[in-house]
Amino acid sequence: MADPPAALDGVTVLDLSDEFGQYAGKLLADLGADVIRIEPPGGDPARSRPPFAEDSPDRSSSLTWWYHNAGKRSVTIDLAQHDGLFLFRQLLPNAQIVLESLAPARREALDPHRILAEHPSLVWVAATAFGADGPHAGWAATDLAVQAMAGPMLQAGYTDGPPQRIGGEQAAIAAGIAAAQGALIALLHAEAGGEGQLVEISAQEVYLACQARAALNWDFNRVAHERTGDAHPIPGIGTYPAADGYVYCYIGVAGFGAPWKHLLDWMLEEGAAADLATPERRRILDDLSFRSLVDPDTAESAKALLEPAHAAVSAFFAAKPAADIYHQGQARGLLIGIVNKPSDILASEQLAARGWWQDIEQPRAPGRDALPVRYPGPPYRLSETPARLHRPAPLAGEHNQEVLTEFAGIPAEDLLAYYGEGAI
Amino acid sequence: MTAPAQPLDGIRVADLTWFGAGPIASRTLALFGADVIHIESEARIDGFRTGFPRRPGARGYNASNYFNNWNAAKRSFLLNMSIEGAREVLLDIVAQSDVFICNMAPGVIDRWRINYEELRQVRPAIIAAYQPMQGATGPHRDYRGFGAVLNPVAGLSHLTGEPDRPPIGLGTNFPDFVVNPGHTAIAILAALRHRRRTGDGQMIELAQLESLAATIGPALLDAAVNQRDQSRIGNRSDWLCPHNAYRCQDAPRGDPHPDAGYDGPMTRERWLTIAVRNDQDWQALCRIAQDQPFARDPRFKTLLGRRRDEDDLDAQIAAWTADRNARELMHRLQAEGVPAALVQDGQDIVEDDQHLRQRNFYQYIDHPETDLSLHDGPPAKLHGTPARLQTSGPLFGQHTYEIATQLLNYSPEKIASLTAKGVLA
Repeated sequence: MADPPAALDGVTVLDLSDEFGQYAGKLLADLGADVIRIEPPGGDPARSRPPFAEDSPDRSSSLTWWYHNAGKRSVTIDLAQHDGLFLFRQLLPNAQIVLESLAPARREALDPHRILAEHPSLVWVAATAFGADGPHAGWAATDLAVQAMAGPMLQAGYTDGPPQRIGGEQAAIAAGIAAAQGALIALLHAEAGGEGQLVEISAQEVYLACQARAALNWDFNRVAHERTGDAHPIPGIGTYPAADGYVYCYIGVAGFGAPWKHLLDWMLEEGAAADLATPERRRILDDLSFRSLVDPDTAESAKALLEPAHAAVSAFFAAKPAADIYHQGQARGLLIGIVNKPSDILASEQLAARGWWQDIEQPRAPGRDALPVRYPGPPYRLSETPARLHRPAPLAGEHNQEVLTEFAGIPAEDLLAYYGEGAI
Repeated sequence: MTAPAQPLDGIRVADLTWFGAGPIASRTLALFGADVIHIESEARIDGFRTGFPRRPGARGYNASNYFNNWNAAKRSFLLNMSIEGAREVLLDIVAQSDVFICNMAPGVIDRWRINYEELRQVRPAIIAAYQPMQGATGPHRDYRGFGAVLNPVAGLSHLTGEPDRPPIGLGTNFPDFVVNPGHTAIAILAALRHRRRTGDGQMIELAQLESLAATIGPALLDAAVNQRDQSRIGNRSDWLCPHNAYRCQDAPRGDPHPDAGYDGPMTRERWLTIAVRNDQDWQALCRIAQDQPFARDPRFKTLLGRRRDEDDLDAQIAAWTADRNARELMHRLQAEGVPAALVQDGQDIVEDDQHLRQRNFYQYIDHPETDLSLHDGPPAKLHGTPARLQTSGPLFGQHTYEIATQLLNYSPEKIASLTAKGVLA
């Protein structure tokens, strides 16, 4: 059977980006674009980023690099050399999108405005930590810096400890998501006869959305949201230790899953929380919610039950395996999530039933065997143009010859000269 | 070919969404030219309309800037899907739309009979995007949740927080703001391109679990390839050192609005994150902290040495920052190229971050009930076709009549009848 069509058939992306853009390149590649990763000779420094497959620290085994670059082709070009720049320019006529994360001075050296004038339908995406201009453009940053400057950190964490960054380099991911959106909007415009343009992403600006209401609340009330840790007014909201892990529950908020009554029924059916079973206590607890805590008719009696109810819920969950709490609670309509470790996600029956994972042979440096690798699937399913991993992560320069001769028309003998001087 | 003024001019979106993950996706489409019809009902009121923040004392469906911000540049159409006749109205809108987005649960979509096949019958080229929590298929298709419940299931909670303390979550409905709406918008944009080339629409299914799990790809690969579970490590890094948040001198808090009911402390914590990426960063840090013992301690000259005594090093850096002004120290470190960054709060990002201000990220837009109020800028700054962020979120039902007459060509009698039956409500 022929492969289904891809949404981005015929789109070529030159990807010079770092952590703040590489996820965009991956998303575009999975949607069918030909994404050519341009690395310096010797390979992208991010190839040294741990962890490594089989803990083997070589430049073909970084798992972070694999994830963000699988599906791309790799060309090694030294953009600091005149001849490297020449080669890069040779690729431009066939490209629809350039994706970069350059510092201001290096961007200037490439002169995107001149390139856009020469290639009027080109989309040039600059995805960086703080954007292409402004007093902090070019500031040194890792994911942590952006998470700090954008605000979500201040709301995450324990009240008696430092603010916490969100796991998984999420600010860099967010920048990649925004870069892919911006690239596609500009591409649609250019393909409809409009001009290409500069698309500028500031990871900080994108990630600001994740602080939820801090900015809005400051604007209206001049009160800054801060982390509340795990303190919640209602038992059944928050993180609970289970017998073998943790669950997160959100029970007792009108409109969000089954009401408190269903939790109480569950506990009583299993012989727990016997002290809460009196008719008078049931009457209060069945409807325990934010509302019953402020309603003058119920507030006092509801507040008096918070402590025993919390103790009962904690004891009930502490005696049960987390998976049982999760599945049985969900079956009762209660909003309960299980705290999954990565290996739990790997073993998820839901993801397996939906065929989410994608197995692929991942080549490694010469002399090392290719490794069969189970890659995470795409974030979305398009019925006619499915996103999927089209190829494994490339070795550095794996596609030099194929891209530069066939794609940019550089004769093979010229390539040898470029190799000789280190431009490739 | 004449290009439209805005990239998505001429694209109409039937937006049957609520809360964050759906509305924020369609908002991006609206900012770049799409006509987004936000379909809502009092019978199923959007929690963002009843939510906060509001100006002190403000009530009603139009006063929450949580809603107004994330539904900027849309039109509002009232439709109570549980009343007979409502489905036909929805299909009339879909018949004239290019994109349909819905983040209701799979069971609701079944009940309302608005799955892709059903919509196709009135609009064969429709792009229909759904955002079920764990997917419309599979043993957990009916599992419920929202951002805060998804964080643990998709692995983020396990990876966030201190190593020796429970995974208490992320403090927000994290995936509702960028990850899930952003991925959804990408899929819709890709489908729009396919439709333009072939004339074909399609169905998009964004299972929120899959979308969020895709953001921790390297940790999942570590589990798959190395059979190793990464875990939360606070603000540290698994390779860089030092890499943490350090408490600095408390700062005064701006005066709260007198009617805001704030009675907390009038100072606020200040934390500075510092990440040392290499020798150069370390030497720069040591130059600035030259009077500190850690700057001269030979143990800390190498990455391995710093990692070996990371607790001691972190304590010494924290002692150094404790009585210093965080913002000043950030500027000194950044001037030397060290990635130092203040952990900013609402006051910082709205008022004190001169970079954000100079870039005009936040836009102040007038609104009939909330007056001039703050709105997030677009996720991407398109220099040729800038986002069109001129109107705040629509008033509840503001455009029902306009859409019923002008788009749907309903007669006044039909509109009166639908209104009387409670369909347009």
